[in-house]
Amino acid sequence: MDAFIQGALLLSTPENIGLIAAGVLIGVVVGALPGLSSPMAIALLIPFTIQLEPVPAIAMMAALYCAGTFGGSITAILINAPGAPPAVATALDGYPMAKNGEPGRALGIATISSVTGGIISLLVFIVAAPALASVALEFGPQEYFALAVFALSMLASMSGKSSIRNMISGFVGVLIGTIGIHLTTGVERFTFGFSELDEGISFIPVLIGLFAMGEMLSQSQTLNKHVERIQAKAMRLPTMAELKSLRGTILRSSGIGTFIGILPAEGSTVAAIIGYNEAKRFSKTPEKFGTGHAEGIAGPEAANNAAAGGAMVPTLALGIPGSGSTALILAALIMHGLRPGPYLLNETPEFLYAIFIAMLFANLAFLGIGLVGAKFFSMITFIPKQFLWPAVFVFSMIGAYSGSSSFIDVWIMMGFGIVGFFMNRHGFSAAPLVMGLILGAMVEETFSQSMIIYDNNFMMMFESKIVILFFALTVVSLTSPFWSLLRGKK
Amino acid sequence: MAKSPRADADTTSTMKNSTSPIGLVHPTDTAIAALIFAVLGFLYYETTNFDEVSALFSQNVPPTMFPRILLFTIGAMALSLPFEHIMLAKKGKNIDKDRSQSLPSITWLTMLLLICILALFEYTGMLITMFLVCLLMPRLWGEKRLVVTIAFSIGFPLIVAAVFSGILGVHFESGMFGFGI
Repeated sequence: MDAFIQGALLLSTPENIGLIAAGVLIGVVVGALPGLSSPMAIALLIPFTIQLEPVPAIAMMAALYCAGTFGGSITAILINAPGAPPAVATALDGYPMAKNGEPGRALGIATISSVTGGIISLLVFIVAAPALASVALEFGPQEYFALAVFALSMLASMSGKSSIRNMISGFVGVLIGTIGIHLTTGVERFTFGFSELDEGISFIPVLIGLFAMGEMLSQSQTLNKHVERIQAKAMRLPTMAELKSLRGTILRSSGIGTFIGILPAEGSTVAAIIGYNEAKRFSKTPEKFGTGHAEGIAGPEAANNAAAGGAMVPTLALGIPGSGSTALILAALIMHGLRPGPYLLNETPEFLYAIFIAMLFANLAFLGIGLVGAKFFSMITFIPKQFLWPAVFVFSMIGAYSGSSSFIDVWIMMGFGIVGFFMNRHGFSAAPLVMGLILGAMVEETFSQSMIIYDNNFMMMFESKIVILFFALTVVSLTSPFWSLLRGKK
Repeated sequence: MAKSPRADADTTSTMKNSTSPIGLVHPTDTAIAALIFAVLGFLYYETTNFDEVSALFSQNVPPTMFPRILLFTIGAMALSLPFEHIMLAKKGKNIDKDRSQSLPSITWLTMLLLICILALFEYTGMLITMFLVCLLMPRLWGEKRLVVTIAFSIGFPLIVAAVFSGILGVHFESGMFGFGI
């Protein structure tokens, strides 16, 4: 209880409340704008929050993450162009309902489902994170190495075109993390004589380049694409009778989303798609899905927001990102000098409760924002790309530069933007690369420590049951893309 | 008009259990795999140039070990790239969907424009760089309203500079001509 009160006190200053509110607003706006996304906004925000205290900075990003997931549903419903990847499934029934003359109702169902999913996952988060952290306190380097390998293997089932390409991206990210001076021996690795690379490549320009610049170049290909927009006059909350009929769908999808969010690397997009499929499977009227059915909106929206809270569990408790966005939040934690994991939660439990309160605030805030500002947010989609994306580039440039006031970082941002664009074009997603980059240091450190402990005898690691469990899960994860093929053959 | 996700779903279901029309080896993915192997080969050669340290000092974990494990792992995965299209076609996915059309010239021009503007940064400084981006990029992307564009290119950088420099304390380089805030 003391920790909860301390956490609340940490955020109770007007400045911190203002920052969280700003995070919510930015999240909804960014989520609503096609092409922009929560990971991009978090990547752009990180350099500017370095000067803040860690708790309000991370709380702001956590609030942005929650709100961004919701914001994507606005454009999914109104223009059939999901503002954020997790809203892809929402468009399947949200847009048809809007076209049927009920955009306000669609937004209302999406909002209530999002809020419910978010709150349920936060309740799980507040129980599961400390529990998981207390288990993880018993982990040694070999267990952490096995856990990190499992997290990397989960990239295979991350959303994207191809499991193999996700894995390649992820391992390239880990490889990029080896650039710089090897901490144990002081040997320069892959610096090519550039002293600027001695400390490795900074996260920030890479993140901004991959998410913001890459997307900007993608958007340049669709400048003339006409988009039909439906303007919502106001959000209409569902009636009690409607809520009662959706209760089962919302609760089930919230549970699904929370569980998927807790799995390393899986995030809101996977949760939304599974939430939609399960809502259809359990529905009494599955034939109505795709025509503007309320369950088709409630299912994915509850799941995608629930995944946001679930993804924070492994991020804070283990230091393993639960999703692409939480990988960025993890990067922010590291940049603020914090080491996420069981020691963080054990030594500063108020941090956990501060994040919980910030995300709870965000979930309730975007209910209010949606009720009051539905019309405004629907108009945001009218901002022309010709002005929106130069503005994003300006913010990207400043964000990349301000980290260490070095223009080299701006060139790194531009380079990764171009590379990320071509990677994406050929099916290699950016999110796995970021996950690999974030996890890379942990993977190598724990691998080295394990090799030292076991005198280079790798097989001795398997004396630990936890290591066996994680490697078994790794095998399951790596082979899961092939299961559907095997089922198809039978 | 934005393509309906239902149309995508229909296309996917039609393609499910189909075989790839390309044949055994995908030419583009073969080229990508070749490029990956070339880079991996170069990086492996670089690991042979790392400073040598004694086994005692490195505690039997030399600085080359982990990068080489990664290089071999990536290489092993890249071996499957030329054939992956077959497996993806069976799942109803089309690996060529996003790259079937060549890049429009506007994308290349955007890259070139931004690289040129950034190359001038040393001389122009941050404020002028922002101005150039906000002026030239909208025009390149087809914005015809000159007055609106000029107003945006002057007003937006000034607001951003005032907020970031004045409030957040971000230092903006003023360039060789010394023009800045």
